[in-house]
Amino acid sequence: MPRYVMVIDQSRCVGCMACVVACKRENDIALDHYRTRVVEMVKGEFPRLRTEMRSELCNHCASPPCVNICPTGASHKEEDGTVQINRHKCVGCKACITACPYDVRYINEEHGYADKCSFCQHRLKEGKEPACVATCIGRSRMFGDFDDPNSLVSKVLRENSWRVLKPEVGTKPNVYYINQFPRKS
Amino acid sequence: MAFSRRNFLKYAAMSAGGTLIADAPFFSARARAEAEGGNVRYVPTSCEMCFWKCGAIAKVEKDKDGKDVVVKLEGNPLHPQSMGRLCARGQAGIGQLYDPDRLKRPMIRTGKRGDGKYKEVSWDEALTYTADKLKEIIAKNGPESVSMMSHGSPGDYFTNLVKALGSGNIAFASFAQCKGIRDAAWELTFGHKPGSSCERVDLKNSRVIVLLGTHLGENMHNSQTQEFAEAVGNGAKIICVDPRYSTAASKASLWLPIKPGTDTALLLTWINIIISEELHDKAYVEQYTIGFEQLKEAVKQYTPEWCAKETDLPEADIVEAARDLGRYAPHVVIHPGRHAAWYGNDAQRSRAMAILNAILGAWGREGGMWLPANGKFASFNDGYPKYPDPAKPPVIKGDYPFAGGEGLTQVLRDTIITGKPYPIKALFVCGTDMLKALPAPDLTRKAIDNLDLMIAVDIMPSETAMMADVILPECTYLERHDGLFKVEARQAGVGIRQPAIEPLHETKPAWWIASELCKKMGLTEYAVKDSWEARMKRQAAAWGVKYEDVADKGYVTIPGSEKPYITADNQPEFKTTSGKIELFSADLEKHSFDPVPKYEPTEGPEQGMYRLLYGRSPVHTFSRTINDQWLWEIQPENEVWLNKKEAEALGLKDRQLVKLENQDKVTVGPVRVKVTERIRRDCVYMVHGFGHNSPRLKRAHQRGVDDQQLITRYKVDPITGGTGMRVNFVKIIKEA
Amino acid sequence: MELNIVGANAITYPAMHVWDWRVAIYLFLGGLSGGLMTMSAINYLRPKKNFDSSCSWQITLLAPILLSIGLFFLNLDLERKLNAFWFYLAFKPVSPMSWGAWIVLFIYPLMILYALAALPKEVKAGIKNRSLRNASDAMQPHLLKLAKANVIAGILLAIYTGILLSTLVARPLWNSAILPVLFLTSGMSAGAAVMIIVAKTKETKLFFTKVDIWLIVAELIVLLLFFYGHYVGDAAHRQAIMPFFSSSHEFFPYFLSIVVLGVCLPLAIVLKFLEVTGEHTEELTTSGLLLMNASAVLVLIGGAVIRFAVVYAGQLSGYGGYM
Ligand SMILES: Nc1nc2c(c(=O)[nH]1)N[C@H]1C(S)=C(S)[C@@H](COP(=O)(O)OP(=O)(O)OC[C@H]3O[C@@H](n4cnc5c(=O)[nH]c(N)nc54)[C@H](O)[C@@H]3O)O[C@H]1N2
Ligand SMILES: Nc1nc2c(c(=O)[nH]1)N[C@H]1C(S)=C(S)[C@@H](COP(=O)(O)OP(=O)(O)OC[C@H]3O[C@@H](n4cnc5c(=O)[nH]c(N)nc54)[C@H](O)[C@@H]3O)O[C@H]1N2
Ligand code: SF4
Ligand code: SF4
Ligand code: SF4
Ligand code: SF4
Ligand code: SF4
Ligand SMILES: [Mo]
Repeated sequence: MPRYVMVIDQSRCVGCMACVVACKRENDIALDHYRTRVVEMVKGEFPRLRTEMRSELCNHCASPPCVNICPTGASHKEEDGTVQINRHKCVGCKACITACPYDVRYINEEHGYADKCSFCQHRLKEGKEPACVATCIGRSRMFGDFDDPNSLVSKVLRENSWRVLKPEVGTKPNVYYINQFPRKS
Repeated sequence: MAFSRRNFLKYAAMSAGGTLIADAPFFSARARAEAEGGNVRYVPTSCEMCFWKCGAIAKVEKDKDGKDVVVKLEGNPLHPQSMGRLCARGQAGIGQLYDPDRLKRPMIRTGKRGDGKYKEVSWDEALTYTADKLKEIIAKNGPESVSMMSHGSPGDYFTNLVKALGSGNIAFASFAQCKGIRDAAWELTFGHKPGSSCERVDLKNSRVIVLLGTHLGENMHNSQTQEFAEAVGNGAKIICVDPRYSTAASKASLWLPIKPGTDTALLLTWINIIISEELHDKAYVEQYTIGFEQLKEAVKQYTPEWCAKETDLPEADIVEAARDLGRYAPHVVIHPGRHAAWYGNDAQRSRAMAILNAILGAWGREGGMWLPANGKFASFNDGYPKYPDPAKPPVIKGDYPFAGGEGLTQVLRDTIITGKPYPIKALFVCGTDMLKALPAPDLTRKAIDNLDLMIAVDIMPSETAMMADVILPECTYLERHDGLFKVEARQAGVGIRQPAIEPLHETKPAWWIASELCKKMGLTEYAVKDSWEARMKRQAAAWGVKYEDVADKGYVTIPGSEKPYITADNQPEFKTTSGKIELFSADLEKHSFDPVPKYEPTEGPEQGMYRLLYGRSPVHTFSRTINDQWLWEIQPENEVWLNKKEAEALGLKDRQLVKLENQDKVTVGPVRVKVTERIRRDCVYMVHGFGHNSPRLKRAHQRGVDDQQLITRYKVDPITGGTGMRVNFVKIIKEA
Repeated sequence: MELNIVGANAITYPAMHVWDWRVAIYLFLGGLSGGLMTMSAINYLRPKKNFDSSCSWQITLLAPILLSIGLFFLNLDLERKLNAFWFYLAFKPVSPMSWGAWIVLFIYPLMILYALAALPKEVKAGIKNRSLRNASDAMQPHLLKLAKANVIAGILLAIYTGILLSTLVARPLWNSAILPVLFLTSGMSAGAAVMIIVAKTKETKLFFTKVDIWLIVAELIVLLLFFYGHYVGDAAHRQAIMPFFSSSHEFFPYFLSIVVLGVCLPLAIVLKFLEVTGEHTEELTTSGLLLMNASAVLVLIGGAVIRFAVVYAGQLSGYGGYM
């Protein structure tokens, strides 16, 4: 079994939102709801400014509080390392939404179940990358099998210093951030 | 020429577009559909959400009722413009297709112009009405009184019609409002445009990239932005010259927040520093250019110290940038930009950019600009007879010696207004939102008032379309065949547009509309002979590619067409008068223009006013995408960027509503103000395309404001006739 | 810093608002009914001179009713009510949500058996349904055992509502080991307060008044500890209590809640103290009665305010945010 992870090179994100729209179309997500977002943080004073671009999504945590809190087992961890939601088991209690430190869950308003990024599991099964990765204009998002030492993601993680978001919460995210910027040549 | 590339990881090269497992890439629509089984189809086509024409693949499924539905769009990995990826707008093409506000049926105006009253009619009625009116107008005023304004895909078909009628009065917004100015300047310098399908910049291999007012990232030209990110990832040095801290600036190691309108000063100073410090590529300059000595003389006056004052930039930064360019030459590029209609002296600025590239030896060098692909396409017009000579010479170039064949929209407009030298009474408006695209929209309105017949060929009920007497609704790009497209990237190739599904409404492809009008006008020999697809097949044969291949793959390359860099047996050809790169232009001198660019200051704002700047949002294409639900959702309106200190002085808070009033007392608003450190104090900025006035565009209607309303003045570039639009100033008025 | 987010969900940004008054009411009523179970059982179990059953048996009925109302509100909050049966097709040992569902399932029978056992003869006589009477008769001998079980079950019920929130690591305000104790003391003291109101005899009223004094003192100490624990915790925890001590008008309701608690609870203690130390005639005077009930109401208000404030403020707290 693979262990799927995403690596995001923040320096290469151009804030184009292609990922956001691709995800919405691929997963047919209703208006005003999102599984992924792009955060742009600009600091400093004119003209000395610096920017951090950060696209965010479910971290498919190795130690997922959303799964722990779920009373019905609707939210669960799968063998491929992803965290998924079994929609018909979901009672819509929203405990998982409050439990997620990354605020990546929401309620599907039409049907009432909790929803979030699935790492595009349906595409993985077809041998395709997640939609957001496949269309990432900056090639900022990378995806693959962490357990395969030859995969792009394990290479990148070996060769770069990385971080995860909010490590202090102890969720052990599977989305890794690298930031090689700014570099002077 | 070899340089040791830093050992940066080239991750991107390892990541195959769209595929996780390398053994299942897209290679054929048929094969992929078979592999997935079931009732899914993949249709390779070309995106038309902007003009980059990326190769896209539409995924089509059957819904419950067995109807075909486009469920997803993806980039075609074989296509050089998309490289397997689509931008947000490309992804949102489905929103355009299923937009409930689309034009759905032909319409003839019943009320007063502009009051939005129409009756829906059959195609035959609409076309007959149009043809009869055209005949009347031609009988009275001659064929040259029929004209067309266009931008984008329907243009070619109506060009054929208008030319066949005997008129040359055709103008595209892509010249005077966009890249025409730049193209003309580069042709004067290199004998080539800086690119046709795309700018020929070798970004991914560049060591230093200068973006001067070109906001890649926000200007979301797909493959180019991909390469820009690649360059950033490779550790290229980005020098970004922009009064505003753009996305590109946020990736730059040097951001130069230049005083708007002074770019030519900076460019000429850089040239001076590079020449005087002998950082230019001497052998290259010797071999390929003429006029170096005159250039050297002419730029001597532009010292860094002077430049710092003029441009409001630190002298040290100016010098550092020039030295960096010199150090890494020729693997450097000053991006030619695209929208060049800034200040009315824009051809000379573009010339300065071209010259700077030339002396650094960037043209034809790795990391600079690649050479035009060597693809030979036989000319093909499907056996149409030659067009009749226009009865009277077309007016569309005005008095501008270097105006291009695409024509000057504003000159066409002026002629419609004045009726001089002859009346123009009919106007086809094909795929351009004229009221938004052209400066001084009041003049556009006046011109419309003067028409006897205005015909809109559009997909959306834009304000412009809703001024027309006849509306001929085109189907969207996902519902139609269009040309086979020549693609000139590093290599030449052929792309295709073919329908993913049948037209949803009573809408027709532009080729059909134009062809039927040809027939109605008695010009059957200019009409499409059989079907457009049959014609495309003949075209493919003429071009020497297999149609089935193009249709199945979406893109095929012309083998051996890729000759990007100068080598001993791959010498560049400069189609200038002298056959060399003209640093000094005798052609310009002949027309009494400066043969070497000179700096002319631009008029600045009065006290209390700000210069109005505008640009792109990565998720919208001008005004055409605002109503698309997937893009509207992300950005439903624009905002006015205002420097924080200025906002404090005016007592404005972030997101507060304000009105804007320009120097001619035109007011727009309310609009939200974005209080930011990201812009200079002397200017404000907004994204162009918002503030739709057409109530039929339900989502977009009156969300945000239209910069064009405030662009009541424009300054014409004397060389090309381009319309400089950043010469307007606004005052900010607090909303009560 | 200039922050620009594209793709945030309204349910979590700019602030999370997942749970609202419905959940707060449930937590309050759940805690209260737990308190009632325990307190009414204590009334049976305590050594006493002349036993006043009047209140205990009514309370044994009130507890399941209040719990049901609470659950009704909780159910209102479920986005897929028809799916609620899934709660009972799974037992998730690490999910306090799941325990909650199961605890309720065990507590209801316990409550009902207890109520049956506690039915006084005179009330029973009025019941038409024979099997009900028989059941009641059958349970009567086990009253004391059932009461003992109810003490424990009541504590469980009251503390569980706090445990539920405290396990949500993502919300620092809730993520405190003290929160369950706070909810426990407040639930118990609310239970005692209701006993005071319902009880008929002076002796019972005074007894629970005394009990309540201790509970409120405990509650106040725990409340202080709760804030102290956050204050000395990591940045996120310290930040989490900020709304309560902020003068900005955005957070005014939280500030107000602290004021209300700061007034209600001590005032209740004072009133109670006056009552238990005061001179009493055989029967309570009307004004004495009024004071007692008033102080009990203050306690109930305090209990509700705590739940509301914690539910809402907890959703404002989080790790990091955007920096
Ligand atoms: N103030 C200001 N003015 C500007 C600019 C600016 O930045 N600021 N930019 C300038 C530049 S660079 C340019 S290129 C021009 C662009 O100007 P336009 O090309 O006029 O801009 P769009 O908004 O793309 O308008 C295109 C029109 O085509 C329609 N359309 C879209 N797809 C199709 C189709 O498939 N078929 C048909 N028939 N119609 C279609 C749309 O509905 C819309 O009405 O504007 C120029 N004007
Ligand atoms: N997403 C998206 N992408 C697009 C388009 C779109 O509609 N949407 N349109 C496409 C088309 S047709 C075109 S022509 C291109 C245009 O794209 P570009 O050629 O990149 O654009 P401009 O609109 O000239 O540039 C706008 C930038 O110039 C800066 N600027 C303003 N005044 C000055 C000045 O005096 N000096 C300097 N140095 N900078 C200045 C502004 O702050 C802004 O960042 O974009 C293309 N790409
Ligand atoms: S990011 Fe949130 S939703 Fe995703 S696995 Fe982690 S805790 Fe669960
Ligand atoms: S909302 Fe659904 S997925 Fe989330 S915790 Fe409740 S039952 Fe589980
Ligand atoms: S992996 Fe799939 S579901 Fe998750 S954010 Fe990307 S596109 Fe959306
Ligand atoms: S698609 Fe990639 S580059 Fe574009 S915003 Fe998303 S993560 Fe950033
Ligand atoms: S750049 Fe985007 S909108 Fe333009 S053609 Fe390509 S995918 Fe379509
Ligand atoms: Mo343009």
